[in-house]
Amino acid sequence: MSSNRARRIAKELAEIQNDKLSQITAEPAGAGDDLTHLRGSFPGPPDTPYEGGTYHVDIKIASDYPFRPPNMRFETKIWHPNVSSVTGAICLDTLSTQWSPVLTIKSALISLQSLLSTPEPKDPQDHEVASMLIRNPSEFEHVAREWAVKYAGAPKREVAEGSGGATAESLRKKSQDAKANEAKVALAAYHGYNKDLVDRFVAMGFDVEAVVSAFEYVGIDRNGGEDYELEEAYMGDITARLFGEA
Amino acid sequence: MKVTIKEWNAVAAWRWDMPDDDVCGICRNPYDSTCSKCKYPGDDCPLLLGECNHSFHMHCIFSWLRQDAAQEKCPMCRQPFKSKNQEAGATEAETPATNADTSPM
Repeated sequence: MSSNRARRIAKELAEIQNDKLSQITAEPAGAGDDLTHLRGSFPGPPDTPYEGGTYHVDIKIASDYPFRPPNMRFETKIWHPNVSSVTGAICLDTLSTQWSPVLTIKSALISLQSLLSTPEPKDPQDHEVASMLIRNPSEFEHVAREWAVKYAGAPKREVAEGSGGATAESLRKKSQDAKANEAKVALAAYHGYNKDLVDRFVAMGFDVEAVVSAFEYVGIDRNGGEDYELEEAYMGDITARLFGEA
Repeated sequence: MKVTIKEWNAVAAWRWDMPDDDVCGICRNPYDSTCSKCKYPGDDCPLLLGECNHSFHMHCIFSWLRQDAAQEKCPMCRQPFKSKNQEAGATEAETPATNADTSPM
């Protein structure tokens, strides 16, 4: 029985070795010819934080393989919602309930590779990673890249913007842009009045919109957006308007 | 000249009516070879064709269908595996996949 299993595994390994194109490897983990404990690897998929890294997988073959899935675990530390960041345990249906005996070690490694391109935070193995991916995708991408460089040997240079990878630089720029945009939207609410001028009324407990519309109702001069001292009479008109007396 | 044939030995070869280079998806041995457990190919280790047109060594597919995880589905297409029932009878009695005749399609 076990020799039949060994025969199939040996065939599979030969097939993997003959296929240089996929860059997938698998060989006995130990020095001997124990075919029940293997070590596989595959390159991190392009357009992901894992690009350029090499991921090693520990593979244990059950005695009733191929009727039961191979037991796979990431040896290389990886920041991914469906892989434990501590143990490397993997949450993937084709490696558990959806296994089929026509699948192979190679096809399983390819499934893992594609799992890296399609993280599924709704069915997580590592809740910390998954919630980061949901709450703060750019931080997730940053940490995943950091780990790829540190543990998987990915090149230190950040992945180019065009290939979909986020870089520290591009992230900073993105957040700057977002802030500038926010400020622009906020300023638009002042309708060209000086911000400090309006904010002195806002400080009394009115919102910007109400103050600005009171300014416009009373006919306050915009003074080219510069701050200036309002005359007492105008101040009275504005507060009266704000309190709904006019 | 006249030749008289005193004796002759016939030699015949057989093969399953399957594409040349195909292997059983479960044991990865050629269809014309045996499953992993058998010694002699042929009637002792026949092929089984499913209604989904996927075929395996009979012993291989039965080993799979006996697993709970199989849920009686074809390993290739995950459709319920039903034998196409060409050579029924003998094989069917001992299989877990005997629901072929219960649900005519």
